[in-house]
Amino acid sequence: MKNLNIENSNILLVGIGNCGRRDDGLGWKFADLTRQFKAKGIDCEYRYQLQVEDVLMICRYDKVVFADATHTTIKKGFEIRPCAPASHYYYSSHMQSPETILYLAKELYNKTPEAYTLAISGHNWGLGTVLSREAQENLRKAVDFFQKKFLRFINKSTG
Amino acid sequence: MTRKITIDPVTRVEGHGRVTIHLDEYGQVKDSFFHIVEFRGFERFIQGHPYWEAPVLVQRLCGICPVSHHLAAAKAIDQLVGVDPIDLSPTATKLRRLMHYGQVFQSHALHFFYLASPDLLFGVDAPAEKRNVVAVAVENRELAVKGITMRKYGQEIIKAVAGKKIHGILAVPGGVHKTFSEKERDYFLDGKYIENIDTMIEWSIAMVDFMRNYHEANRKFLDDFAYFPSGHLGMVNEMGGLDLYDGKLRAIDSEGNRTLNDISTDLYQQYFTEAVSQWSYMKFPYLKEVGREKGWNRVGPLARLNICEFITTPLAEKARQEFIAFTGKRVNNSTMYSHWARLIEVLHCAEEIKLLLNDPDLMGNDLVRKGTERHKGIGIIEAPRGTLTHHYEVDDKGMITKCNLIVSTTHNNDAMNTAVKWVANNVISRKGHITDGMLNQVEVAIRAYDPCLSCATQAMGKMPLKAEVYNAKGELIDEKSKY
Repeated sequence: MKNLNIENSNILLVGIGNCGRRDDGLGWKFADLTRQFKAKGIDCEYRYQLQVEDVLMICRYDKVVFADATHTTIKKGFEIRPCAPASHYYYSSHMQSPETILYLAKELYNKTPEAYTLAISGHNWGLGTVLSREAQENLRKAVDFFQKKFLRFINKSTG
Repeated sequence: MTRKITIDPVTRVEGHGRVTIHLDEYGQVKDSFFHIVEFRGFERFIQGHPYWEAPVLVQRLCGICPVSHHLAAAKAIDQLVGVDPIDLSPTATKLRRLMHYGQVFQSHALHFFYLASPDLLFGVDAPAEKRNVVAVAVENRELAVKGITMRKYGQEIIKAVAGKKIHGILAVPGGVHKTFSEKERDYFLDGKYIENIDTMIEWSIAMVDFMRNYHEANRKFLDDFAYFPSGHLGMVNEMGGLDLYDGKLRAIDSEGNRTLNDISTDLYQQYFTEAVSQWSYMKFPYLKEVGREKGWNRVGPLARLNICEFITTPLAEKARQEFIAFTGKRVNNSTMYSHWARLIEVLHCAEEIKLLLNDPDLMGNDLVRKGTERHKGIGIIEAPRGTLTHHYEVDDKGMITKCNLIVSTTHNNDAMNTAVKWVANNVISRKGHITDGMLNQVEVAIRAYDPCLSCATQAMGKMPLKAEVYNAKGELIDEKSKY
């Protein structure tokens, strides 16, 4: 019944990935650390993959951040980018992009939350729950930036 | 020169597979196969684990139907602790049923709205970029909103009883580990936070009406497309009524003659066996007595409506009677009627959910029962896609020594292959060239069975469905891959 209690939050952080696949768990780990930080006004959700019905979840927030691991090597270890609605559909029913979810929010519910993707570089995608050393370092940098700078920025933005 | 067509991946199905169509020198279909290329093997690696882990472990077979595996395994494990379905407490039985109806409701909603509706709304020849739920959302907003909300409602039911929408846990050996609170019940009844159950029933009726009208407008295509006679298998209650959670196994042939006469689920091994093929990881179950050629059965919504004598809830029963009256046939062998049957089951589940939510037993505290331990447990339920069997045997220490899973989609293996052959012979054969629309019709035939290929083979990794066309020399001359 967690969804009953979100009225006081205006930012949603969606951690995406699979914590049983080592660095693919970066999105979830990022969400864990954000929850521990107890930043005011942020709710955290966890998803293996985004699905169509997640549109209902994001429509309830002014701002949304999708955090996920990436295979791409990013020089500073992570990257935050604005995310805009876009119409593209993956063939599977249970694997949609943040852009598609935003597109459905706009088309079906006339909602366009201010959205960002946070990509954190991973290195090891094998079975296991422990992040690689490189991923841990990238996670640390991402959390540091998110908590010290990005939250201040996103809280000031009009949404 | 003969040719071979491949569709890879088959889209808008759960899991991944491949279709190959072999043409002769005249462009006529020589043969076709629906290959399932995923493999994981839960039956083997669950051996050596303690029995009580089974309902938790086996649901990891799939992210779409984990509830079905959780509950089928739970029913089997109940027997290992000496508890038969009739001995379970009313609270445990009703909570498990609530979870099950929530699962079938959301799974059928997903299939209809996300996977099948693009074919129905835009036509099987529509361009590929239109055949998806995003296009449905743009062109039919109301339908899309209802679909998303209905799926969400079923998922919320699962979350309320099992803690999570996917891979949650409700059942423990001999019962359930939690009860239901008034707050949880009111969440689904009062409509303050989400649409309430009466709205779900109302929308389900509207969907059934939509499908009936669709059949009236497209009758010939829907009657003929991938029509073939076959057996039908499912579970019924003591009175012959539809029961998705517990009952007796019944099968009929294409004319309605009984080929399996309401047997106890514990006896399934006496009646069923499985064949294997070199070209697929998916097995082919069939009734021993009827034989390999004619002993296979369709399972799932259409089969269930064919084998039952009535539906236990009034609105769905009325819809079933209209469904039968529409064709005038007691047994329906038309593949495309699966969608209509599925929506009738959506309505049935919504009615059952309402009944359960208003039942005070749901909030009882008699959660777990115990009996005399046994070495063998068999649990069978009607999963969204059809009859699902879990069979476990344990040693004296309770460690699993044997596991046999016959998954719904496996029962439909022959049916899906026959449907693919129908499309190959009637749509693709001797056409000179192969269009995207023709290949989509292969997928449409498979999609009607809502296969969950991950479950059927206990799949691993990303291996989407693919289609290939080969010539008489065995050379690949055309292929489709959407992954």
